[in-house]
Amino acid sequence: MLLQNAIADALNNTEWAFPLAECFHIPAFALSIGTITLVDLRLLGVALPGENPAKLLKDTQPYTLIGLIIVVLSGFILYLSQTAIYLANASFYFKIIVLLIAIIYNYTIHSKVASSPNVSPGVAKLVAAISLALWVAVVFGGIFIAFV
Amino acid sequence: MTISESIQSIDFLTAIRESALVYPIILGTHLTCIAVFGGMILMTDLRLLGFCLKNLTITEVVTSLRPWKRVGGVVMITCGLLLGSSEAVKYAPNPYFWTKMVVLTCIGIHALVFRPLVYNNTEALDSSPVIPTSAKAAAWLSMFLWLSMACLGRLIAYYEPRQAVQALLLIK
Repeated sequence: MLLQNAIADALNNTEWAFPLAECFHIPAFALSIGTITLVDLRLLGVALPGENPAKLLKDTQPYTLIGLIIVVLSGFILYLSQTAIYLANASFYFKIIVLLIAIIYNYTIHSKVASSPNVSPGVAKLVAAISLALWVAVVFGGIFIAFV
Repeated sequence: MTISESIQSIDFLTAIRESALVYPIILGTHLTCIAVFGGMILMTDLRLLGFCLKNLTITEVVTSLRPWKRVGGVVMITCGLLLGSSEAVKYAPNPYFWTKMVVLTCIGIHALVFRPLVYNNTEALDSSPVIPTSAKAAAWLSMFLWLSMACLGRLIAYYEPRQAVQALLLIK
């Protein structure tokens, strides 16, 4: 609680703190969602046909994780600046719920399907499409926080 | 009527600005493109630097991702144009917006300079024992320019002409 107030004060009293946190938030979501999308497009069979999905997942995973850590931390800082406003925002709840589902999905079903060699193309495509839909929903949920 | 006023009073731009739904949807599409295609640009750059996707050739990465980047670029820029022109009066005096346009121009120059050297020359890069400095420079510059684009885009929202005036008064 004390920490929360300290962070909120720092954010609200420093003009550039909130925009700075956003400048971390946006490139970091490009990093995390972008690398996940690359795996999705491979599973859909429309990009990087020369790479097998398991190897692509292994190669992109560290970047996805770095991106996710930065995006969640900066997002948490943004949230702490004005908790009351976010907690009264329906789009915020939508975003957080879809985000949690997307993260769990990414590290369970998604990574399992991408890394196992004997998955039927149909299943792989479905899993990739769901992943894309979840992450796009997270981005839109975030945008609509400012518009509801 | 100034130029920016006449731009944003075009019918469909007025409609975008005044709609509670269309504006955020275009903005959301703009940001989704940033995520999807920003990630592709980044992975291409990282491959040029030799940091990942190393069992694919540079040619495979560049040619396979190119059509996606093109589609993404067109959608992203179209959305950006709609967002900016529908709020032209707000954007015209905004220094972050103009800085972003300068950086966008730099990205165009980057493409003109490095396309023949790097992006259309990938087979030579693949057969070279070490990745040439020009390719590494292209990758670092590309990451720097696109990172600047993302940050400047965000900062556009924080420019308040009034504050700038007040700051000037305080200095005096």
